Amino acid sequence: MTKPDFSDEMLMRFADGELDPQTAAAIEAAMETDDDLVARVGLFIETRAEAKSALKPLLDEPVPEKLATAVERMVREKQAREAAVPPSVKVIPLRPAVPKNVAVRHWTLPLAASIAAVIGGLTGYWLALSPVGEQSGLQVAGVDSAALYQALATVASGQEKQLAPSQRFRAIATFRDSAGAVCREFEVDSPDRSTVISVACRQAETWRFSFAVVAPGTDSGYAPASSTEALDAYLTAIDAKAPMEAAEEATLLRAIAAK
Amino acid sequence: MTDRTDRVEDLLVAFLPNLRRFAISLCRSRDVADDLVQAACERALASADRFEPGTRFDAWMFRILRNLWIDVVRKRKTAGVEEDISERQDIAGAVSGEREVEARMTLKSVADAIDDLPDEQREVLLLVCVEDFSYRETAEVLGIPIGTVMSRLARARQNLASAAGISAAPARSGVMKGNA
Repeated sequence: MTKPDFSDEMLMRFADGELDPQTAAAIEAAMETDDDLVARVGLFIETRAEAKSALKPLLDEPVPEKLATAVERMVREKQAREAAVPPSVKVIPLRPAVPKNVAVRHWTLPLAASIAAVIGGLTGYWLALSPVGEQSGLQVAGVDSAALYQALATVASGQEKQLAPSQRFRAIATFRDSAGAVCREFEVDSPDRSTVISVACRQAETWRFSFAVVAPGTDSGYAPASSTEALDAYLTAIDAKAPMEAAEEATLLRAIAAK
Repeated sequence: MTDRTDRVEDLLVAFLPNLRRFAISLCRSRDVADDLVQAACERALASADRFEPGTRFDAWMFRILRNLWIDVVRKRKTAGVEEDISERQDIAGAVSGEREVEARMTLKSVADAIDDLPDEQREVLLLVCVEDFSYRETAEVLGIPIGTVMSRLARARQNLASAAGISAAPARSGVMKGNA
């Protein structure tokens, strides 16, 4: 009797169910009379079963807390980013970007002339700019400019102040722009939990608002990171200096408030 | 709802035990494996838009993790750091004759025998025999031809069988022959 010659690889494919039906049938037929063949096929079946059961305990092992926590945090951050990024973040360039080689006199242009666009759309909350005149500047629903101006001149960075029952002002930092003007980065939370991130700079004895982003708020009150990216880009564009120390800021704010 | 289940961030946490098992078996160190799993998750989340819904998530994750591991091995090799695992495997492969003798004298546990397989045999064994990937899927995860998958897999199983003393006991016995 001549035995058909089956390679180990072929027998393995048979054992793994990866062989065409015709060859599989031939092997099955041969196995009926060939114990060696049965043993060779059996080896592949056994090694698969043994490997699987040997590594089963690893699957039942609890994932170390440190790892699980780290991954869960990454997932949450990703979900938060996705929730924050889409159309709800609106960049409002109140001034066109100033090319690096253009002199600083741009900053002295009347505010109204340099307004590019104001994008609204968030219910119950808006930014509006009134013409240069008796009350130029940033207006926030339910907050008069005076309260905002006062907050800008008095609230130390890192501190908060209630402007209106549902309007919370938060000073983030004080710094100088490339022209040496004193600027303040701040946020204002609104009742719908959205947040305006804005930059105001001192020009001609008053505050000029040069940048604002409306971002959906989070439970923490702080604006999501994605919306501060626009701010970072803006700060880079105006060549903002590093935030001031508390003492320097306090001196400057006192001088401004005294005027 | 179906949309959500196909998103990387929704699938990742539940898949951690599998990913970790693959990592531990691949690099044979729990500490290294956990770092690797974390790095793989980070990369997966960063490139989540490249995962095609409807395709195998486990295959996608295994491929990411294994590519990171290859980078680690490569760096270790160029830096000549500590004991190089894959080199140890090369040496082990070169003296397989001796190892067989040794194996016959003291049989290893199946888990140890899997650990001792050369890297390229072990990863094929893990995907096909442990994770139930088809040869085709395995070839895609590892980026090698399907023929290479088969030859490595056959060698892996023969090595495993002799190291751990696995035989097809029920079928091979002389009793059967006698009965025939």
